[in-house]
Amino acid sequence: MGIGPSTKETSLHHFRDPLLDVVSGDKDIDLMGIMVVGTPQDNKEKYFVGQRAAAWAEAMRADGVIISVDGWGNSHVDYANTIEEIGKRGIPVVGLSFVGTQAKFVVTNNYMDTIVDFNKSKEGIETQVVGENNVAVLDAKKALAFLKLKMRKEGK
Amino acid sequence: MNKEKILRRLVIKAFHIDKVEVGDKNSIDKRMLTIDKEISKNLVKNEELIEDINIKIIKPGQHDIYVNTIMDIIPVSTKVLGKIGEGITHTLTGVYVMLTGADSKGKQMHEFGSSEGILKEQLVLGKAGTPSKDDYIIHFDVTLKPDIPYERKLPLSAFKACDEFIQGIRMALKGLDGRDSTESHEYLDKIRPNSKKVVIVKQIAGQGAMYDNQLFSDEPSGVSGGKSIIDIGNVPMIISPNEYRDGALRAMT
Repeated sequence: MGIGPSTKETSLHHFRDPLLDVVSGDKDIDLMGIMVVGTPQDNKEKYFVGQRAAAWAEAMRADGVIISVDGWGNSHVDYANTIEEIGKRGIPVVGLSFVGTQAKFVVTNNYMDTIVDFNKSKEGIETQVVGENNVAVLDAKKALAFLKLKMRKEGK
Repeated sequence: MNKEKILRRLVIKAFHIDKVEVGDKNSIDKRMLTIDKEISKNLVKNEELIEDINIKIIKPGQHDIYVNTIMDIIPVSTKVLGKIGEGITHTLTGVYVMLTGADSKGKQMHEFGSSEGILKEQLVLGKAGTPSKDDYIIHFDVTLKPDIPYERKLPLSAFKACDEFIQGIRMALKGLDGRDSTESHEYLDKIRPNSKKVVIVKQIAGQGAMYDNQLFSDEPSGVSGGKSIIDIGNVPMIISPNEYRDGALRAMT
């Protein structure tokens, strides 16, 4: 599985993205930018782009990272790896993902202890209904609150 | 030292549309959007993989219709000053473009599950990525030629044709006087020196047909002039908050 109709983000979603609104609107946060990273097919390349994303965050001297994913299943391999690479560098990281009952992580690691599940369907599945399982304002607020706690705990 | 430092300014001016109709040419006048009725014929001619394009106007509440899989929902925005992320952007509210597609044998343009069916059952209204119940939807339905291997170029031709269609509306939108906008929002890219430094990472699809994203197109939420995340090797790219909210990322999922 890659990306289903209910989990994909439309161009309109990107244009008025709740995650960006919430994080950029918080005066306690200096939002340095939005880093987009793709999902290559090859496993070696999956690890490579994850490492590069983490190296960027380290070079930016990030105090914290919020990572969101617009697919699940196979793309959770990339997701878990990128979180691990960021976590290994001592940067607090909070994730946002569709999980529900269907998208149990195929791989996991110690740094995946704070993941906000943005599933909205009652059954917890990919419903094929566009717009249903996307990040909403409340999900974004939760993720930011978790990150603030994590940064404080880790003395950032 | 402790003061916020402003890097760049972006102003998005929204023009609200109360009514959408089909007419002789693309125009926007007194909250009414008119779409050129001949335009789909010209668009079909330009894309060799496309058999037919059907443009319909869906009024608010008229969602009890069958649609092919929803490839994207796109805002109509255009730059009137500066590049993406700075200057002035005009955008329409009250109307959004919905791109749907299948080939002439009915194969839906989606790799990992598709959303074809009765529109009111396949679309949740009022989300960040979807129209609200009071919005018009311009339904751009593409029929692709059959029996072509399912590769990137197939859905891409539908995205391109739809972008060309939107460009026609963008040209009308560019000509509007900013003082007539219904809403105006100012966004500042800034540094907050005493606040926690945070980066948002968005992992986006980048593997193939309908599993792709485009970056840095010429127009907000556009296709033309952009680069696919696949073609840049899926490596991380930094986008400023204002570039992002000005439509630097275009979904092709």
